[in-house]
Amino acid sequence: MCASLSDFLRASPPPPRVAVLPDAVFFSRTVSLAAGTPRAEVVSQVGLALEALSPFPLAQLYFGYYLPPGADRVLAFASYRRRFTAEQLAEWAGAEYVLPAFAAILGCGAEPATTVVLAAPDGLTAVHWDQGPVPAVVLYHPLKPDATEDERARARAELIRSAGEARTIVDAPSPPVPQPGRSEGEVVFQAGGLRSRLPSAVAAALDVRDKADLDALARARRRDLFLWRTAIGALAACLLFAAGELALLGAGLWQSARIAKVAAQRPTVARIMEEKDLAGRIDELSTKRLLPLEMISVVSPEVAMPKNPPAIQFLRAAASAGAVNTIQIDAQTSNAGEIAAYRTAIEQTPGCERVEIRDQRTQNNVVSFKLIVTFKPGALAPATS
Amino acid sequence: MIRTLRAFFLSRFLREKLLVTGIAVLVAALWLSSIGNRAVRFVHAVRVTTSSLNEQARWLSDRAAIEASAQAAAGRLDAVRTLDTTRLLAEVSAIAVESGLKNSTSGEPKDVSNGQFSVHTLQFNVTKADWGTLKQFYLALSKRSPYIGIEQCSLQVDRANQLLLSANFQISSVEISKN
Repeated sequence: MCASLSDFLRASPPPPRVAVLPDAVFFSRTVSLAAGTPRAEVVSQVGLALEALSPFPLAQLYFGYYLPPGADRVLAFASYRRRFTAEQLAEWAGAEYVLPAFAAILGCGAEPATTVVLAAPDGLTAVHWDQGPVPAVVLYHPLKPDATEDERARARAELIRSAGEARTIVDAPSPPVPQPGRSEGEVVFQAGGLRSRLPSAVAAALDVRDKADLDALARARRRDLFLWRTAIGALAACLLFAAGELALLGAGLWQSARIAKVAAQRPTVARIMEEKDLAGRIDELSTKRLLPLEMISVVSPEVAMPKNPPAIQFLRAAASAGAVNTIQIDAQTSNAGEIAAYRTAIEQTPGCERVEIRDQRTQNNVVSFKLIVTFKPGALAPATS
Repeated sequence: MIRTLRAFFLSRFLREKLLVTGIAVLVAALWLSSIGNRAVRFVHAVRVTTSSLNEQARWLSDRAAIEASAQAAAGRLDAVRTLDTTRLLAEVSAIAVESGLKNSTSGEPKDVSNGQFSVHTLQFNVTKADWGTLKQFYLALSKRSPYIGIEQCSLQVDRANQLLLSANFQISSVEISKN
């Protein structure tokens, strides 16, 4: 199965599905055009020309035209609709192009004064180029299925003579067969040794089906292309994600190495951190002494307000080396009015940096509060007695 | 190859084209969601690891300076006068007795050491002591600074007798290894 899939992927794309119609049922005519005529107008002019040529109204014709880029005339061709059976029409349904056999070889790149003779079991078709890329005339000569070689040769000679003066005669002994193109933009046919390359837009104009049906087909093709591009986009995204998975895998290995490095360094770093903490504590012990009783003495009511000490009672005091210049005191008083004056007195004490009063609560006419006093570094001297 | 696949795809029925496209889009969406989440988590982990590595690098680069500062701090102390755990407990107890403190208890000393230096910490509690006795104890302890230091201190008025105080000290000493 792998081998067959590989073969399938290596194989060139299949040729387009083309319904090649017999030349016998078509008539053709060249129509002059002004350079740069828009496509809609080309279709209109082709329709008018064909209506003038045909005894049937345009609605009863299948028609197409050949107009390569830059041409100053168009080869129009048409066929009466009733010449095709229902079975033939059903075969057109899956076809990408439906065109007469002679239209398939129009992209053979013939030089001026060239006649191409296309052989088919039921007749011969001569396509003659006098100048430019558009043929001047397309002639058909029917042949009996049992026609001899002499009869075929005579018919060929008569066709060549009727087509016009030709310097080059090219014979295409077999009907045109679609071939895989070099790109999506061209349709290729091979008729014996003759190779015809038609741009997709030019080939689309050769299609003889109803223009409304062709529009519907074009819409379906656009929808299919959208689905194709969406699917390809999703697959491309999946490829990108696969690359991302590989990148994540590689980056994961790199990250694992980094995590291992962090783990390996952790004990050393912990030791250094401990050492720093230790150094800090030794330094604090020798240089930053905690002076709790000195701070309590400075903020005591009797010292802060010696002339009129307030009736404030300390309940609890705490200090720690983490905030070596700060003391927290839980205190209470029966006279709430004294707190503000007391605070002001402490603030005016030399060396005091900040005073905060927090958590004031009242219970049974007693106000409790927390006093937090921060001193300036070095403002307090250790007590000696 | 892509043209072959394209021709194959375009030649399928519409329902098959819709199915293939739907499956491809669904797989891509699920994969995107999965890889997106994992990528976000990975980026977060990388940032955390980078931060850890940077912090570790900072500590490692400061190692010499930290060791030097520890040496400098210890250099201010006389190794002979530094106290180990046993001597710290004995010294503090002796000061408490000399100061007249009666109701005192001490907790189990804790040690932090880097091999060269050690810091010993002791919890020392006093109950029902008057301010004067407590101050005597404090002053006697302060005289042993910097070999003995107070790291934390809390005083509380005794509920039964407001003239008496309960005190809790966290006392530390530095020991410099003599060998």
